[in-house]
Amino acid sequence: MDLPVLTPSTPAASGGCSSSSCGSSAEQMSHLPEDILRRVQDHPCYSEDAHHHFARMHVAVAPACNIQCNYCNRKYDCANESRPGVVSELLTPDQAVKKTLVVASEIPQMSVLGIAGPGDPLANPERTFETFRKVAEYAPDIKLCVSTNGLSLPSVVDELSQYNIDHVTITINCVDPEIGARIYPWIFWNNRRIRGVEGARILIEQQQKGLEMLVERGVLVKVNSVMIPGVNDVHLKEVSRIVKSKGAFLHNVMPLISEPEHGTFYGLTGQRGPTQDELMALQDACAGDMNMMRHCRQCRADAVGLLGEDRGDEFTLEKIEMMTIDYAAAMKRRAVLRADVLAKLDARRSVKASNGLVSLVPAGAAPAPERQTRPVKIAVATAGGGVINQHFGHAREFLVYEASTEGARFISHRKTDLYCAGGDTCGDGESVLQRTIRALEGCEVVLCSKIGFEPWGQLEAAGIQPNGEHAMEPIEEAVMAVYREMAEAGKLAPREMPLRHSA
Amino acid sequence: MALAINELCVNCYACEPLCPNSAIYLARPHFRIDPALCTECLGEYDAPQCAEICPIEAAIIDEAGEALNPPGSLTGIPLQALAAAAAALAGTQAHLPVMGQGAGGAP
Ligand code: SF4
Ligand code: SF4
Repeated sequence: MDLPVLTPSTPAASGGCSSSSCGSSAEQMSHLPEDILRRVQDHPCYSEDAHHHFARMHVAVAPACNIQCNYCNRKYDCANESRPGVVSELLTPDQAVKKTLVVASEIPQMSVLGIAGPGDPLANPERTFETFRKVAEYAPDIKLCVSTNGLSLPSVVDELSQYNIDHVTITINCVDPEIGARIYPWIFWNNRRIRGVEGARILIEQQQKGLEMLVERGVLVKVNSVMIPGVNDVHLKEVSRIVKSKGAFLHNVMPLISEPEHGTFYGLTGQRGPTQDELMALQDACAGDMNMMRHCRQCRADAVGLLGEDRGDEFTLEKIEMMTIDYAAAMKRRAVLRADVLAKLDARRSVKASNGLVSLVPAGAAPAPERQTRPVKIAVATAGGGVINQHFGHAREFLVYEASTEGARFISHRKTDLYCAGGDTCGDGESVLQRTIRALEGCEVVLCSKIGFEPWGQLEAAGIQPNGEHAMEPIEEAVMAVYREMAEAGKLAPREMPLRHSA
Repeated sequence: MALAINELCVNCYACEPLCPNSAIYLARPHFRIDPALCTECLGEYDAPQCAEICPIEAAIIDEAGEALNPPGSLTGIPLQALAAAAAALAGTQAHLPVMGQGAGGAP
């Protein structure tokens, strides 16, 4: 695929997100209408740049679901919206509104509220819409979003578009009912449980219809897909093509997680999830004709906070009951902070545009011939703010960038807990450190603010160079600085073939 | 004649709004059906609504204690796999729906 080319002359306004780190690069966004580009540019969920500076939260107000997915166990939250095996605290709409307002006054970066489970928000329209209505009343500046399996979507589209809905996420795993029957054992439709291919056919029909209706009404639609090797992995390229042609502005491919202890159909029948390499290869294949989002993390349905943090524990029901809020003052604080961040993002964009900060070659120097050095994956520990500011041992996830002669490009999140739900179920008593090292597979360097002696040694032994020399530096600049050092040290001799996906 | 909800219920709320007789109510530790109100949906729908949408196998039972959605019937998980998983998890806190099956007729 084509990598984003970081030409210094690109005016910021021409791209949805001119940051090279953005999963949805300017180039891939170029087919989008101007007004959508503007809405996406500084969106905390869609712009990787903005993602570092804004906070989002989800509230779990919607318990019921109207379909069954083979990767979900209904004892837990919806597996699309949370990581599997998670149980969120169910809130009434009033509790959810209070929680949102409290969080938005305590964390002025708060800008997006999502309703995510524990079931399907649109299978619980009263609870979902009541929450939206009340939040819009007291905090009209907060963007609202909702995720759905799509089955009820056509029937609520008109009501949905009355609220200040910023975007809708539809989980679409297939457009072929035969494949659907291997993902969805049943749906509930017109007062009947409908199984197999027939159920899948209805679900697919409603999803596609809902997508079209939203696009007609000017609502941003993102599509999520769960990649299930051997079931829909090849098919997802077609899904990508179709949803894009219908006007979805982003397609996000997530890995199937199927631990047996979650008790799902896939987990108990030995269906595996994709490897990091398989996932990235599919994301790249889809990116050829679709905007891809790579920084979406399956956070839990009651997650709160900035990139890489979850402050949900600070806002339990008990605690929020005790707090009082001055709505107007809180909204003012958010407005000030927002203006500040947007100005900063703008400034960063124009700096980048004028001197090519993230390119391999310092401004003014002659450009290096292409493909002199191979690309390298570099992991970064950050707690937000777009800088390297997290201790290796405190990082629960890493951002992975690919550095090449063409600049730094954000490619994925790696969760250290993605591979194990914890407890004693994980292999041969594998330590957290070993799991983290496994999560960093394929990366050659890990950048963090600090790192202990023991992990340093083990990382080195695993072929991953720890580096704490770039603490507090902007991520992309540090990534490219390291890449330049590696190039100068002769570590990046080109290989026969450029190995994008080498482990 | 009436259906009943047992302790396998995960309180997902899905059944409650569907009941044509408002027989289902939120209770602790789980939803319940008022036997005086439940008609098993006879004359209203082809199939009892609560049992049609309930995602949890064996959570809704009839007067004979029979599960309307027996183990394996909703998830498609082979009974052997369910049994193996249940055995593997025995002694840990987690338990799968099927394990409660023995207590099917309890409430
Ligand atoms: S069987 Fe019908 S009437 Fe009885 S509780 Fe269920 S939904 Fe209500
Ligand atoms: S649908 Fe089933 S699991 Fe959900 S509340 Fe009703 S009885 Fe309980």
